[in-house]
Amino acid sequence: MNYQTPSLRRALAADYAIGLMPSGARKRFEQLLLDDAGLREELAAWQTTLVRLTDTLGQDPVPDHVWRGIVARIEPQKLHVPVKPPFWNWLRVTAAACTVVIAVAVGVLTTRDSITYTATLLSGTAQPTLRIEAHADYLNVKPLQLAAVDSGRSLQLWAIPAGGNPVSLGLLPATGDCKIQLNASQQQLLASNVVLAVSLEPEGGSPSGQPTGPVLYQGPLAAL
Amino acid sequence: MIGITLNFGLSSLSGWHCATTLINGRTGILISDAEYLKKLLVQCSLGNRRAFETLYRSVAPRLYSVALHCMGRRDLAEEVVQESFVRIWHNAARYEPRLSAPLTWMVTITRHQAIDQLRKQRELPLSDLQQEALADEGLGADEQLDTARKAKALNQCLEQLEGKQRQTITSAYFHGHSASELAEQLAAPLGSVKSWIRRGMERLRRCLES
Repeated sequence: MNYQTPSLRRALAADYAIGLMPSGARKRFEQLLLDDAGLREELAAWQTTLVRLTDTLGQDPVPDHVWRGIVARIEPQKLHVPVKPPFWNWLRVTAAACTVVIAVAVGVLTTRDSITYTATLLSGTAQPTLRIEAHADYLNVKPLQLAAVDSGRSLQLWAIPAGGNPVSLGLLPATGDCKIQLNASQQQLLASNVVLAVSLEPEGGSPSGQPTGPVLYQGPLAAL
Repeated sequence: MIGITLNFGLSSLSGWHCATTLINGRTGILISDAEYLKKLLVQCSLGNRRAFETLYRSVAPRLYSVALHCMGRRDLAEEVVQESFVRIWHNAARYEPRLSAPLTWMVTITRHQAIDQLRKQRELPLSDLQQEALADEGLGADEQLDTARKAKALNQCLEQLEGKQRQTITSAYFHGHSASELAEQLAAPLGSVKSWIRRGMERLRRCLES
Protein backbone atom coordinates (compact mmCIF):
# COMPACT_ATOMS: atom_id res chain seq x y z
CA MET A 1 0.00 0.00 0.00
CA ASN A 2 1.22 3.50 -0.72
CA TYR A 3 1.47 5.22 2.63
CA GLN A 4 2.74 8.44 1.10
CA THR A 5 -0.61 9.77 -0.14
CA PRO A 6 -1.49 12.56 2.30
CA SER A 7 -5.20 11.74 2.33
CA LEU A 8 -4.53 8.06 2.96
CA ARG A 9 -2.10 8.85 5.76
CA ARG A 10 -4.67 11.13 7.36
CA ALA A 11 -7.40 8.50 7.01
CA LEU A 12 -5.22 5.70 8.43
CA ALA A 13 -4.19 7.88 11.37
CA ALA A 14 -7.88 8.65 11.99
CA ASP A 15 -8.82 4.95 11.94
CA TYR A 16 -5.99 4.14 14.32
CA ALA A 17 -6.81 7.02 16.68
CA ILE A 18 -10.47 6.09 17.11
CA GLY A 19 -9.75 2.36 17.16
CA LEU A 20 -11.27 1.18 13.88
CA MET A 21 -8.30 -0.96 12.88
CA PRO A 22 -8.29 -4.71 13.41
CA SER A 23 -5.32 -5.87 15.49
CA GLY A 24 -3.12 -6.92 12.52
CA ALA A 25 -3.48 -3.55 10.82
CA ARG A 26 -2.95 -1.83 14.17
CA LYS A 27 0.42 -3.57 14.65
CA ARG A 28 1.53 -2.69 11.10
CA PHE A 29 0.55 0.92 11.69
CA GLU A 30 2.52 0.98 14.95
CA GLN A 31 5.57 -0.29 13.04
CA LEU A 32 5.15 2.56 10.53
CA LEU A 33 4.84 5.07 13.38
CA LEU A 34 8.27 4.11 14.72
CA ASP A 35 10.01 5.40 11.60
CA ASP A 36 7.70 8.12 10.41
CA ALA A 37 7.68 11.37 12.37
CA GLY A 38 5.12 12.86 9.96
CA LEU A 39 2.71 10.02 10.65
CA ARG A 40 3.16 10.54 14.41
CA GLU A 41 2.18 14.18 13.84
CA GLU A 42 -0.87 13.11 11.85
CA LEU A 43 -1.90 10.78 14.67
CA ALA A 44 -1.29 13.41 17.35
CA ALA A 45 -3.57 15.84 15.46
CA TRP A 46 -6.39 13.29 15.57
CA GLN A 47 -5.76 12.53 19.22
CA THR A 48 -5.96 16.26 19.94
CA THR A 49 -9.34 16.39 18.17
CA LEU A 50 -10.67 13.29 19.91
CA VAL A 51 -9.52 14.38 23.36
CA ARG A 52 -11.98 17.24 23.00
CA LEU A 53 -14.74 14.65 23.44
CA THR A 54 -13.69 14.61 27.10
CA ASP A 55 -14.19 18.40 27.44
CA THR A 56 -17.56 17.94 29.10
CA LEU A 57 -16.17 15.57 31.71
CA GLY A 58 -15.20 17.20 34.98
CA GLN A 59 -12.97 15.86 37.70
CA ASP A 60 -13.70 13.15 40.22
CA PRO A 61 -11.90 12.80 43.55
CA VAL A 62 -9.71 9.71 43.41
CA PRO A 63 -9.70 7.36 46.42
CA ASP A 64 -6.37 7.40 48.33
CA HIS A 65 -5.61 3.74 47.76
CA VAL A 66 -5.06 4.41 44.05
CA TRP A 67 -1.95 6.50 44.76
CA ARG A 68 -0.66 3.89 47.22
CA GLY A 69 -1.15 1.24 44.51
CA ILE A 70 0.84 3.32 42.02
CA VAL A 71 3.68 3.86 44.48
CA ALA A 72 3.82 0.13 45.20
CA ARG A 73 4.07 -0.55 41.46
CA ILE A 74 6.87 1.91 40.70
CA GLU A 75 9.04 1.40 43.76
CA PRO A 76 11.81 -1.16 43.47
CA GLN A 77 10.74 -4.52 44.89
CA LYS A 78 12.07 -5.28 48.39
CA LEU A 79 13.49 -8.76 48.71
CA HIS A 80 12.47 -10.82 51.73
CA VAL A 81 15.43 -13.04 52.61
CA PRO A 82 14.65 -15.75 55.18
CA VAL A 83 16.74 -15.73 58.38
CA LYS A 84 19.64 -18.17 58.24
CA PRO A 85 21.18 -20.06 61.22
CA PRO A 86 24.00 -18.06 62.94
CA PHE A 87 26.80 -20.48 62.00
CA TRP A 88 26.16 -20.02 58.29
CA ASN A 89 25.89 -16.30 58.82
CA TRP A 90 29.26 -16.27 60.54
CA LEU A 91 30.78 -18.33 57.77
CA ARG A 92 29.24 -16.12 55.12
CA VAL A 93 30.37 -12.92 56.78
CA THR A 94 33.93 -14.29 57.02
CA ALA A 95 33.86 -15.39 53.40
CA ALA A 96 32.43 -12.05 52.32
CA ALA A 97 35.07 -10.18 54.33
CA CYS A 98 37.85 -12.25 52.73
CA THR A 99 36.39 -11.57 49.30
CA VAL A 100 36.26 -7.85 49.97
CA VAL A 101 39.87 -7.80 51.22
CA ILE A 102 41.07 -9.68 48.14
CA ALA A 103 38.96 -7.57 45.80
CA VAL A 104 40.22 -4.33 47.31
CA ALA A 105 43.82 -5.56 47.22
CA VAL A 106 43.49 -6.60 43.58
CA GLY A 107 41.67 -3.38 42.79
CA VAL A 108 44.32 -1.18 44.39
CA LEU A 109 47.16 -3.15 42.80
CA THR A 110 45.71 -3.16 39.29
CA THR A 111 43.50 -0.24 38.37
CA ARG A 112 41.50 2.49 40.03
CA ASP A 113 38.46 1.89 37.87
CA SER A 114 35.34 2.41 39.93
CA ILE A 115 31.76 2.75 38.74
CA THR A 116 30.42 6.21 39.50
CA TYR A 117 26.90 6.05 38.06
CA THR A 118 24.55 3.37 36.81
CA ALA A 119 21.34 3.29 34.82
CA THR A 120 18.91 0.56 33.89
CA LEU A 121 17.08 1.47 30.71
CA LEU A 122 13.47 0.33 30.45
CA SER A 123 11.33 -0.32 27.41
CA GLY A 124 7.88 1.20 26.90
CA THR A 125 6.36 -1.70 28.81
CA ALA A 126 8.80 -1.15 31.71
CA GLN A 127 10.94 -4.20 30.86
CA PRO A 128 14.63 -3.75 31.83
CA THR A 129 16.55 -3.82 28.52
CA LEU A 130 20.05 -2.44 29.13
CA ARG A 131 22.32 -1.94 32.12
CA ILE A 132 24.78 0.92 31.82
CA GLU A 133 27.66 1.59 34.22
CA ALA A 134 29.48 4.91 33.97
CA HIS A 135 33.18 4.71 34.82
CA ALA A 136 35.46 7.75 34.90
CA ASP A 137 36.04 7.91 31.15
CA TYR A 138 33.93 5.18 29.59
CA LEU A 139 30.51 3.51 29.73
CA ASN A 140 30.06 -0.21 30.08
CA VAL A 141 26.84 -1.29 28.34
CA LYS A 142 25.36 -4.73 29.00
CA PRO A 143 22.18 -6.06 27.40
CA LEU A 144 19.47 -7.50 29.67
CA GLN A 145 16.57 -8.22 27.32
CA LEU A 146 17.16 -6.35 24.11
CA ALA A 147 14.74 -6.57 21.16
CA ALA A 148 16.26 -7.39 17.76
CA VAL A 149 17.17 -4.42 15.55
CA ASP A 150 16.15 -4.45 11.86
CA SER A 151 19.01 -4.34 9.36
CA GLY A 152 19.51 -0.84 8.07
CA ARG A 153 18.87 0.59 11.57
CA SER A 154 21.17 1.52 14.40
CA LEU A 155 20.61 2.03 18.11
CA GLN A 156 21.98 5.36 19.31
CA LEU A 157 22.62 6.25 22.94
CA TRP A 158 21.85 9.78 24.16
CA ALA A 159 22.27 11.73 27.37
CA ILE A 160 19.38 14.13 27.95
CA PRO A 161 20.14 16.91 30.44
CA ALA A 162 17.27 18.50 32.36
CA GLY A 163 15.82 21.16 30.12
CA GLY A 164 18.47 20.68 27.39
CA ASN A 165 18.87 18.95 24.05
CA PRO A 166 20.00 15.32 23.83
CA VAL A 167 23.74 14.76 23.37
CA SER A 168 24.86 11.70 21.45
CA LEU A 169 27.08 9.28 23.38
CA GLY A 170 27.52 6.97 20.38
CA LEU A 171 26.04 3.99 18.60
CA LEU A 172 25.35 0.64 20.21
CA PRO A 173 26.00 -2.64 18.41
CA ALA A 174 22.90 -4.76 17.71
CA THR A 175 23.85 -7.02 20.64
CA GLY A 176 23.94 -4.01 22.97
CA ASP A 177 27.17 -5.27 24.57
CA CYS A 178 29.93 -2.64 24.34
CA LYS A 179 32.22 -0.09 25.91
CA ILE A 180 31.88 3.55 24.91
CA GLN A 181 34.77 5.97 25.47
CA LEU A 182 33.70 9.36 26.83
CA ASN A 183 35.34 12.65 25.93
CA ALA A 184 35.78 15.42 28.51
CA SER A 185 32.51 17.22 27.73
CA GLN A 186 30.55 13.96 27.83
CA GLN A 187 32.13 13.11 31.18
CA GLN A 188 31.12 16.51 32.52
CA LEU A 189 27.57 16.09 31.20
CA LEU A 190 27.14 12.69 32.87
CA ALA A 191 28.07 14.18 36.23
CA SER A 192 24.89 16.30 36.05
CA ASN A 193 21.27 15.22 36.22
CA VAL A 194 20.68 13.28 32.98
CA VAL A 195 18.44 10.65 31.51
CA LEU A 196 19.98 8.07 29.20
CA ALA A 197 17.88 7.12 26.21
CA VAL A 198 18.30 4.83 23.21
CA SER A 199 16.62 5.83 19.96
CA LEU A 200 16.16 3.90 16.73
CA GLU A 201 18.05 5.69 13.95
CA PRO A 202 19.04 5.11 10.34
CA GLU A 203 22.15 2.90 9.98
CA GLY A 204 25.22 4.85 11.09
CA GLY A 205 23.29 7.09 13.46
CA SER A 206 21.15 10.20 13.34
CA PRO A 207 22.05 12.39 10.35
CA SER A 208 21.00 15.56 12.19
CA GLY A 209 22.88 15.16 15.46
CA GLN A 210 19.55 14.99 17.31
CA PRO A 211 17.31 11.93 17.73
CA THR A 212 15.14 11.42 14.64
CA GLY A 213 13.57 8.07 15.52
CA PRO A 214 11.47 6.96 18.46
CA VAL A 215 12.96 6.49 21.92
CA LEU A 216 12.95 2.74 22.56
CA TYR A 217 14.56 2.61 25.98
CA GLN A 218 15.25 5.13 28.69
CA GLY A 219 16.18 5.55 32.32
CA PRO A 220 17.77 8.11 34.67
CA LEU A 221 21.50 7.87 35.43
CA ALA A 222 21.85 7.64 39.19
CA ALA A 223 24.90 8.07 41.43
CA LEU A 224 25.93 4.97 43.37
CA MET B 1 -3.13 32.04 38.25
CA ILE B 2 -2.02 29.46 40.75
CA GLY B 3 -0.07 27.64 38.05
CA ILE B 4 2.00 30.76 37.55
CA THR B 5 2.69 31.19 41.24
CA LEU B 6 4.08 27.69 41.28
CA ASN B 7 6.45 28.29 38.36
CA PHE B 8 9.50 28.85 40.51
CA GLY B 9 12.94 27.26 40.21
CA LEU B 10 11.85 23.96 38.76
CA SER B 11 15.27 22.40 39.04
CA SER B 12 15.40 22.68 42.82
CA LEU B 13 14.09 19.84 44.90
CA SER B 14 12.89 22.12 47.65
CA GLY B 15 10.65 23.75 45.07
CA TRP B 16 8.92 20.45 44.46
CA HIS B 17 8.41 19.89 48.10
CA CYS B 18 6.72 23.27 48.29
CA ALA B 19 4.50 22.54 45.31
CA THR B 20 3.35 19.26 46.82
CA THR B 21 2.52 20.93 50.08
CA LEU B 22 0.38 23.46 48.30
CA ILE B 23 -1.44 20.73 46.44
CA ASN B 24 -2.11 18.84 49.63
CA GLY B 25 -3.45 22.07 51.08
CA ARG B 26 -6.31 21.88 48.55
CA THR B 27 -4.89 24.60 46.35
CA GLY B 28 -4.39 22.71 43.13
CA ILE B 29 -2.88 23.53 39.79
CA LEU B 30 -4.99 24.36 36.78
CA ILE B 31 -4.71 21.31 34.58
CA SER B 32 -5.05 23.65 31.62
CA ASP B 33 -1.58 25.01 32.44
CA ALA B 34 0.18 22.99 29.75
CA GLU B 35 3.61 24.54 30.33
CA TYR B 36 3.55 23.55 33.97
CA LEU B 37 2.47 19.99 33.18
CA LYS B 38 5.26 19.75 30.56
CA LYS B 39 7.84 20.71 33.19
CA LEU B 40 6.43 18.11 35.56
CA LEU B 41 6.71 15.44 32.85
CA VAL B 42 10.36 16.40 32.19
CA GLN B 43 11.04 16.03 35.92
CA CYS B 44 9.26 12.65 35.93
CA SER B 45 11.48 11.46 33.09
CA LEU B 46 14.47 12.36 35.32
CA GLY B 47 13.06 10.18 38.07
CA ASN B 48 11.74 13.00 40.28
CA ARG B 49 9.14 11.33 42.48
CA ARG B 50 7.88 14.60 44.01
CA ALA B 51 7.17 15.98 40.56
CA PHE B 52 5.30 12.77 39.79
CA GLU B 53 3.17 13.13 42.89
CA THR B 54 2.42 16.76 42.00
CA LEU B 55 1.46 15.63 38.51
CA TYR B 56 -0.77 12.92 39.98
CA ARG B 57 -2.52 15.35 42.33
CA SER B 58 -3.09 17.72 39.39
CA VAL B 59 -4.39 15.40 36.69
CA ALA B 60 -5.60 12.20 38.42
CA PRO B 61 -9.13 13.59 39.11
CA ARG B 62 -9.48 14.40 35.41
CA LEU B 63 -8.11 11.04 34.23
CA TYR B 64 -10.34 9.28 36.76
CA SER B 65 -13.34 11.08 35.33
CA VAL B 66 -12.38 9.93 31.81
CA ALA B 67 -11.79 6.36 33.02
CA LEU B 68 -15.12 6.38 34.85
CA HIS B 69 -16.91 7.56 31.73
CA CYS B 70 -15.32 4.70 29.76
CA MET B 71 -15.61 1.93 32.34
CA GLY B 72 -18.83 2.88 34.14
CA ARG B 73 -17.59 1.29 37.38
CA ARG B 74 -15.48 2.96 40.05
CA ASP B 75 -13.36 -0.11 40.87
CA LEU B 76 -12.49 -0.69 37.21
CA ALA B 77 -11.84 3.03 36.66
CA GLU B 78 -9.47 3.03 39.66
CA GLU B 79 -7.48 0.17 38.11
CA VAL B 80 -7.30 2.07 34.83
CA VAL B 81 -6.02 5.22 36.57
CA GLN B 82 -3.42 3.20 38.47
CA GLU B 83 -2.15 1.49 35.32
CA SER B 84 -2.18 4.78 33.42
CA PHE B 85 0.04 6.50 35.99
CA VAL B 86 2.49 3.58 36.07
CA ARG B 87 2.78 4.07 32.29
CA ILE B 88 3.06 7.84 32.55
CA TRP B 89 5.95 7.41 35.02
CA HIS B 90 7.83 4.90 32.87
CA ASN B 91 7.12 6.65 29.57
CA ALA B 92 7.53 10.31 30.54
CA ALA B 93 10.68 10.59 28.39
CA ARG B 94 8.64 9.50 25.38
CA TYR B 95 6.22 12.41 25.61
CA GLU B 96 6.81 14.65 22.57
CA PRO B 97 5.76 18.22 23.51
CA ARG B 98 5.94 19.24 19.84
CA LEU B 99 3.11 16.85 18.96
CA SER B 100 0.47 17.27 21.62
CA ALA B 101 -0.46 18.94 24.89
CA PRO B 102 0.56 17.01 28.02
CA LEU B 103 -3.04 16.45 29.08
CA THR B 104 -3.90 15.10 25.61
CA TRP B 105 -1.02 12.63 25.91
CA MET B 106 -2.14 11.52 29.38
CA VAL B 107 -5.85 11.26 28.49
CA THR B 108 -4.87 9.20 25.42
CA ILE B 109 -2.90 6.79 27.64
CA THR B 110 -5.88 6.50 30.01
CA ARG B 111 -8.35 5.96 27.19
CA HIS B 112 -6.12 3.24 25.68
CA GLN B 113 -5.92 1.48 29.03
CA ALA B 114 -9.68 1.75 29.45
CA ILE B 115 -10.65 0.39 26.06
CA ASP B 116 -8.09 -2.42 26.33
CA GLN B 117 -9.80 -3.46 29.56
CA LEU B 118 -13.28 -3.01 28.07
CA ARG B 119 -12.41 -5.13 25.05
CA LYS B 120 -11.15 -7.86 27.40
CA GLN B 121 -14.30 -7.70 29.52
CA ARG B 122 -16.78 -7.23 26.70
CA GLU B 123 -18.84 -10.19 27.87
CA LEU B 124 -19.76 -8.39 31.12
CA PRO B 125 -23.06 -6.46 30.99
CA LEU B 126 -22.94 -2.68 30.72
CA SER B 127 -23.76 -1.01 34.01
CA ASP B 128 -26.24 1.82 34.44
CA LEU B 129 -23.45 4.19 35.39
CA GLN B 130 -21.88 3.77 31.97
CA GLN B 131 -24.88 5.36 30.29
CA GLU B 132 -25.24 8.05 32.89
CA ALA B 133 -23.68 11.49 32.62
CA LEU B 134 -21.50 12.00 35.67
CA ALA B 135 -21.88 15.16 37.67
CA ASP B 136 -18.92 17.48 38.12
CA GLU B 137 -17.59 17.41 41.64
CA GLY B 138 -15.09 19.53 43.49
CA LEU B 139 -14.13 21.85 40.65
CA GLY B 140 -12.62 25.24 41.32
CA ALA B 141 -14.39 28.24 39.80
CA ASP B 142 -11.67 28.79 37.17
CA GLU B 143 -11.69 25.17 36.18
CA GLN B 144 -15.46 25.18 35.88
CA LEU B 145 -15.38 28.22 33.62
CA ASP B 146 -12.70 26.64 31.49
CA THR B 147 -14.59 23.35 31.24
CA ALA B 148 -17.81 25.16 30.38
CA ARG B 149 -16.14 27.23 27.66
CA LYS B 150 -14.49 24.22 26.05
CA ALA B 151 -17.62 22.11 26.42
CA LYS B 152 -19.63 24.79 24.64
CA ALA B 153 -17.30 24.62 21.62
CA LEU B 154 -17.45 20.83 21.69
CA ASN B 155 -21.23 20.76 21.93
CA GLN B 156 -21.59 23.20 19.04
CA CYS B 157 -19.38 20.98 16.91
CA LEU B 158 -21.10 17.79 18.01
CA GLU B 159 -24.44 19.37 17.07
CA GLN B 160 -23.21 19.79 13.51
CA LEU B 161 -22.76 16.03 13.22
CA GLU B 162 -25.54 13.71 12.15
CA GLY B 163 -26.95 11.56 14.93
CA LYS B 164 -25.29 8.38 13.65
CA GLN B 165 -21.93 10.11 13.29
CA ARG B 166 -22.07 11.41 16.86
CA GLN B 167 -23.25 8.13 18.29
CA THR B 168 -20.67 5.95 16.53
CA ILE B 169 -17.75 8.27 17.30
CA THR B 170 -18.49 8.59 21.02
CA SER B 171 -19.20 4.89 21.34
CA ALA B 172 -15.95 3.95 19.60
CA TYR B 173 -13.94 6.54 21.53
CA PHE B 174 -15.19 5.93 25.05
CA HIS B 175 -16.14 2.27 24.93
CA GLY B 176 -13.77 0.90 22.30
CA HIS B 177 -16.54 -0.62 20.20
CA SER B 178 -15.26 -1.88 16.87
CA ALA B 179 -16.98 -0.98 13.60
CA SER B 180 -18.44 -4.49 13.37
CA GLU B 181 -19.82 -4.34 16.94
CA LEU B 182 -21.39 -0.98 16.15
CA ALA B 183 -22.83 -2.35 12.90
CA GLU B 184 -24.45 -5.15 14.89
CA GLN B 185 -25.80 -2.83 17.61
CA LEU B 186 -27.23 -0.38 15.12
CA ALA B 187 -28.34 -3.07 12.63
CA ALA B 188 -26.49 -1.16 9.90
CA PRO B 189 -24.06 -2.29 7.19
CA LEU B 190 -20.40 -2.30 8.24
CA GLY B 191 -19.45 0.04 5.38
CA SER B 192 -22.00 2.63 6.53
CA VAL B 193 -20.72 2.56 10.11
CA LYS B 194 -17.13 3.06 8.95
CA SER B 195 -18.12 5.98 6.74
CA TRP B 196 -20.23 7.60 9.52
CA ILE B 197 -17.21 7.51 11.79
CA ARG B 198 -14.68 8.69 9.20
CA ARG B 199 -16.83 11.54 7.86
CA GLY B 200 -17.92 12.49 11.36
CA MET B 201 -14.32 12.67 12.54
CA GLU B 202 -13.35 14.92 9.61
CA ARG B 203 -16.26 17.23 10.33
CA LEU B 204 -15.54 17.31 14.03
CA ARG B 205 -11.87 18.10 13.43
CA ARG B 206 -12.58 20.88 10.94
CA CYS B 207 -15.16 22.39 13.28
CA LEU B 208 -12.91 22.26 16.36
CA GLU B 209 -9.93 23.64 14.44
CA SER B 210 -11.92 26.56 13.01
